[in-house]
Amino acid sequence: MRRRISIDPELCIGSGDCGRLVPTAFALDESGGVSIPLAGAEDADLDLLVRAALNCPTNAIQVVGEDGQVLVDANS
Amino acid sequence: MLLDRYTTTITFDDYEAIRQALFDPNLSRSFDKRSYAEGNIRDGVVSISHGPMQRARRRVENTQFRADRLKLYERELFPQVLDRLLDMLIGADRADVFAVGELLSVVLAARRAGVDHDERSLEQLRTLVHYVDVFSQGSAILNAKDPDTVRALVYATYDEFERDFLRPSWERRTRLIEAERDGERAEPVPQDILTALLLHRDDPAVELSDDGRIVREVATYLQGGTHTSAQTLTNAFDLLFDAEERTPGFIDRAADDLAFAQHVVHETLRLRPTTPKIKRRAEADTIVAGVPVPKDALVVLDAATANRDPARFGADADEFNPDRVLDPSVPRWGLSFGAGAHQCPGRSVAGGFPVPADRVVDDEHLYGLVALMVQAVARRGVRRDPDRRPQRDTRTERHTRWASYPVRFEGRQAVGAGEHVAPSPA
Repeated sequence: MRRRISIDPELCIGSGDCGRLVPTAFALDESGGVSIPLAGAEDADLDLLVRAALNCPTNAIQVVGEDGQVLVDANS
Repeated sequence: MLLDRYTTTITFDDYEAIRQALFDPNLSRSFDKRSYAEGNIRDGVVSISHGPMQRARRRVENTQFRADRLKLYERELFPQVLDRLLDMLIGADRADVFAVGELLSVVLAARRAGVDHDERSLEQLRTLVHYVDVFSQGSAILNAKDPDTVRALVYATYDEFERDFLRPSWERRTRLIEAERDGERAEPVPQDILTALLLHRDDPAVELSDDGRIVREVATYLQGGTHTSAQTLTNAFDLLFDAEERTPGFIDRAADDLAFAQHVVHETLRLRPTTPKIKRRAEADTIVAGVPVPKDALVVLDAATANRDPARFGADADEFNPDRVLDPSVPRWGLSFGAGAHQCPGRSVAGGFPVPADRVVDDEHLYGLVALMVQAVARRGVRRDPDRRPQRDTRTERHTRWASYPVRFEGRQAVGAGEHVAPSPA
């Protein structure tokens, strides 16, 4: 099982903090004003992914580990 | 009394507990209805809103805080105005650094907010600063000693601001937006908060059908981008002057090393947050750091105390030390920009990007506008004025605010704004 990274577009406010921390994993989609996970985001450094998720101002990012365990839950 | 409708008051001064509270979606900034309900001075403003509307509004407004916009302001627009304004504002050998900070900050805050004005007119800049001062009193109304007077003053000032500045700006942008839609050749539509609000006002999610909300929203961004930067600039020099008496050389270092100037700003924010006690209201029962918080409780987050936690900031946490070494996971400014959904959108504008401990940064680094101001003022040889005492703002209980701060200038020549010299050895 691969890691899974997702962003809830209803919670995201487009601060861009995640993309600044992990530019290989997140980018802003200007059409909606929210951040989105990039292709291959799950392959970025896990510690950075978790840090980005924990620092998201609206808890919009979910990180699920290779074993299916939710490492950071969105809206938690 | 404004606060008598709360079920209880709970105060947190632990750093991690405050962070949890700031991320808790059950804690809002919607306070006593007599101050913030419909028709009151901050009705519908994003900074006191909650839930889906607040997030929709921030998505629209955060477009003005993208890295490319920040670079434009820091590397092109601000240097153009910084030295020109300092030349105008520093008469002979003295000035009021708080007033200087307000005038420097308001130029770009007005541009970002979408308030057209003549940047070369000191009269217009002083008028905008006056508005900012009134709006700042409004934003701190819960700490005001005379809230009824503040409320009346803010209403009158909104009317004047709308008549003399915002409506002409609004009408100009409306014409340009329509011209662009019609394919006519015209000047580009400015990229700013007002334009962004006008382009999205038909979206019901942002709840901007009321013109008054747009006035108050733009006023909020004008005020937010000015007052706190000026207070931080003033507090930075107050701390630098004290430090200079113990260990001479800090002001010269700030003048020569922009990364050090940025560390000065971050350390100032940590010790003197412009909102020392952040307030929240519990919209529902919740638990913060194991403490039950009932619905309608007033939650007071003592950021000023948490920012001096020795476990995070060192045994000398009460001291001003821009060379402080911190764990990279701890922001140098502590909790002073807040966190969570209401995290200050201007954090990177004013404070720049985080600086590594060795102060070696790459070409993408931004230092923040306050660091540029600190350096520019330091380069002109700023010193304490021995003949005139600084005055704190006594209209508020927030103890980190100044009303005036006279300074003298001796010796150094003005040089180009934003120049970065290689970091001094730590």
